[in-house]
Amino acid sequence: MTMELAGCLLGTAAPHSLEDYQKGVTRWCNGCGDNAILTAVQRLCRDEDLAPERTVFVSGIGCSSRLPHYMSTYGFHGTHGRPLPIAEGVKMARPDLHVFVSTGDGDCLSIGAAHWIHAIRYNMDLTVLLHDNRIYGLTKKQASPTSPLGTKTNTTPKGSYLPALDPLSVTLGVANVSFVAQAVDWIPEMLYRIVAAAYRHKGLSFVRIVQRCPEFMPGALDPWVQDPSRTRLLSHERGVEIPADLAKVYRERREHDPRDLAAARALAADQDTIPVGILYRDDDAPRYEELRGAGRLRTPADVRRGLETELDRFTIGAGA
Amino acid sequence: MTLLDERAVFERTGVRTGGALAPVDGRGLRPALFARFHDLARLRYDFPVVLAAGGAVRTLSGAVDAALRDLAPRGAAGERMRAAALRVEREVRAAAGRGAGGALSDAWTSAAARACADPGARADALRAGAALGIDGELLDCDAGMPARLVTHVWLAANDARARAMRARIDLLSARLSDLARADALRSDSGRSAAALRAAVAGPHRDLFDFEAMSRLLVAPSRAPGMTARRRDRIAGALRTLASERFFGGAPSRYLLAFGSVEEARTAYGSLAREMADVVRAAAIAELEAEGRYVDGEHDAVFAAFGPGSLSPADLALFPPPLVRIAAEAGGRAARAEVLDALAGTAPVKILLETGDAFGADARLAAAAVALGGAYVVQCAAADLARGAPDVGAALEHRGPALIAVLTGVVPGDDAPPPYLVSAAAAASRAFPRFRYDPALGRAERFALGAHEQPGTLWPEHALEHAGDGGERVALTVRFTAADAALCDPRWSRHFAEVPRSRWDGIVDVPSAQGGAAGAPAGVYAVDRASRLHRLVVDERVLDLARRTADAWERLRELDHASRPAPAPPAAPAAAVAAPAPAEPAQAEPAAEPAPAAGDEAYIETPRCTSCNECTLLNPRMFSYNENKQAFIKDLAAGTYRELVEAAESCQVAIIHPGAPHDPSEPGLAELLERAAAFR
Repeated sequence: MTMELAGCLLGTAAPHSLEDYQKGVTRWCNGCGDNAILTAVQRLCRDEDLAPERTVFVSGIGCSSRLPHYMSTYGFHGTHGRPLPIAEGVKMARPDLHVFVSTGDGDCLSIGAAHWIHAIRYNMDLTVLLHDNRIYGLTKKQASPTSPLGTKTNTTPKGSYLPALDPLSVTLGVANVSFVAQAVDWIPEMLYRIVAAAYRHKGLSFVRIVQRCPEFMPGALDPWVQDPSRTRLLSHERGVEIPADLAKVYRERREHDPRDLAAARALAADQDTIPVGILYRDDDAPRYEELRGAGRLRTPADVRRGLETELDRFTIGAGA
Repeated sequence: MTLLDERAVFERTGVRTGGALAPVDGRGLRPALFARFHDLARLRYDFPVVLAAGGAVRTLSGAVDAALRDLAPRGAAGERMRAAALRVEREVRAAAGRGAGGALSDAWTSAAARACADPGARADALRAGAALGIDGELLDCDAGMPARLVTHVWLAANDARARAMRARIDLLSARLSDLARADALRSDSGRSAAALRAAVAGPHRDLFDFEAMSRLLVAPSRAPGMTARRRDRIAGALRTLASERFFGGAPSRYLLAFGSVEEARTAYGSLAREMADVVRAAAIAELEAEGRYVDGEHDAVFAAFGPGSLSPADLALFPPPLVRIAAEAGGRAARAEVLDALAGTAPVKILLETGDAFGADARLAAAAVALGGAYVVQCAAADLARGAPDVGAALEHRGPALIAVLTGVVPGDDAPPPYLVSAAAAASRAFPRFRYDPALGRAERFALGAHEQPGTLWPEHALEHAGDGGERVALTVRFTAADAALCDPRWSRHFAEVPRSRWDGIVDVPSAQGGAAGAPAGVYAVDRASRLHRLVVDERVLDLARRTADAWERLRELDHASRPAPAPPAAPAAAVAAPAPAEPAQAEPAAEPAPAAGDEAYIETPRCTSCNECTLLNPRMFSYNENKQAFIKDLAAGTYRELVEAAESCQVAIIHPGAPHDPSEPGLAELLERAAAFR
């Protein structure tokens, strides 16, 4: 409840523009797909008029994780593999903030895999963007968990030995999963719409963004970028609306009800045609921060009381 | 003079002439339709009610029914449980009727001990009691009931309001305290050696040179702290929020209950400044906590903010004053005060009790509807359990409200219980239940409560009695305003009993002038031994009936006027089939502005991934639109070579160079060759 007077005085402020969310010049390589993701979240912030001081971007380590530097909001460039626990802590202490997580295929799926699985299960209200370029770019080309079998890199000069991990299938297999979507960086309008749907979802929304790395994986995704028939747009009244002009180009479409978990798993398993849209959503999955009553007011007096209660347990009484 | 004349004379004059007509006073006669209601404790009716947590009002019988539905299986198996529970319910009702009161759980336990001698039945009854799922004070329908019920709902609403406000204020205070503390720590005094020393526990103090530490901290961080104005503003807001008296503990809950409108007006007026201070402090705190307070913009607003600036929304944050005007405190002056308060905007809530269904106080609610801005509830005590949600809505309304209740308490030793008197007034339309909510739209503003046979003036009921020879006689009897008057001993002298031999020719009490057409009008009554009597009424009662009928008719008109008009007949098919305005053709995607004017360069803007390749190459030629997607801003600002290079470096190949702008550019032949792939 905002006091009417304060609400009236605050309400006179002008809405934010795209520039209000931009900061600095990106240091990503020319042509990098991260730029498309940055633009999508900046558009989202503007269109939802998110107050910059109430918005946080948390990241780990990697090319993807530079994203908070370019957002004129709060940001936390965290430790390798740990953006999710940090974001969960932020959400727990300040449930009123909009919390986004930018993470990469190494950060999330390799070193951060344990946190990834449990964050899905905790289902806190976070918007998680997995920038999946299928390579370690920041350290100049090493194989990542999603590098396709046979990818030649500095660590796998004869080609990678193992089949790639599929982040969608794994996420869809975790208990209490509540929102899984996939986007590609070269269809910006769909990317924006999917990120917007993820933001509006209450609970952890996991968006895997298939992303080009023109520097270390040049042309690797060209078969998909250049052939619209290898991208499958998912349409449904509960999904993302497909704009008319895109519908003309991307004729490969599938009516998919995001409540159907089995169908979502079948879609995720298709390696040949990239599904773009919301694979699964469950608006009723319990959210950890709500189960644990996050955001309860802790005044300095409360904190002191709690500390003293704890310390009193060690008091040595004078009498019997 | 014949007996008929005596009846006629009584009707005209109210005087019993001759010896045939008997007086009614003190004989405990009641409307014949009440024959079965001699012992209320044996009936399952709306009372006692339970004042449950959160302002809920539940009937005991409703709670028992709900518990038995879940607990007692159908058929014989559940029968023992049902019988035991109903026996205890009756015992609880009887105890409440004797004025026992207390909490339902206690009353149930002790009633189970009294009513169920058999241990098995007692165990069943206690199980049923545990399954009731509610607890709270038991309230019978007596003189004090309306005030206690309304106060219960009022306190619960205040508690909910106070909890929400307290949470908000605590949060704001915590955030302001954080600001103030951070400022203190950053200030010179916060970084003084003494302050630093105080922050370190005793045993370690000697390890540090606090003077040096202070010099190090103070010297380089010459960042300006808060301005003195801001510091004072925050401290002032914190003080006000800490000392407010509206949302704290128990004492404030009773700060605003009054016995007269004048008392309330005086007290509320003197609180207005405090309320304005709290609203202002909270608004300042909201702005400060967001870091959005701008001295130049906001100072003037807050300087001018006083009690007169409080909006209805501001006032709705505070508990509204509750005024109880007890039946004996009513009267002409009180009525004038009530109407005056209801015509204003202050959210004063008035509980107006009246014991006389036909008095001037009982007309006040209908009059208050005409004021337009006040929430009005009229409800007989007997109906109050069902009317409780309306009472809650009246207390929540952002403006004045009137809750008019007929207590049913009438003078006299042999007066019927308040429940029956008030139920009679409601059933006979003398005191119908309605509510008027000015905040709703025209169609819903006024609503008559549920009444029996709402389509007729007087509800009709079948009455069977034994005839002279013991045979069964069936009658249809109307329950009229005269029956309601018969429940009130103050009206006894306007009734006279007619001997059995001359019951013929007496008609029901009419609703309009001349309806009786010369025949004497009367009602059926029973005495304590359930013997049937026939009474005639005098002109005063007939007048009362006519006025009641008029008032009911007017309320029904209001009710109809506010109902939505019946849906017009379906539009003829032809109209439906009329051609709809042509849908605007699907906008052609701007994605492919096919260069109609020959072969001009273009970018498929919606497909741009914002990768900066082209804009870094030539920011005057290539630019971003409002969605940060590239378009050709100025073709003349660059060379064809740049255009071709941009097309080549575009990762998603959406730049189409078209034909060269300047035919004299060097190396054009080679460039055209490279551009061919993108044209």
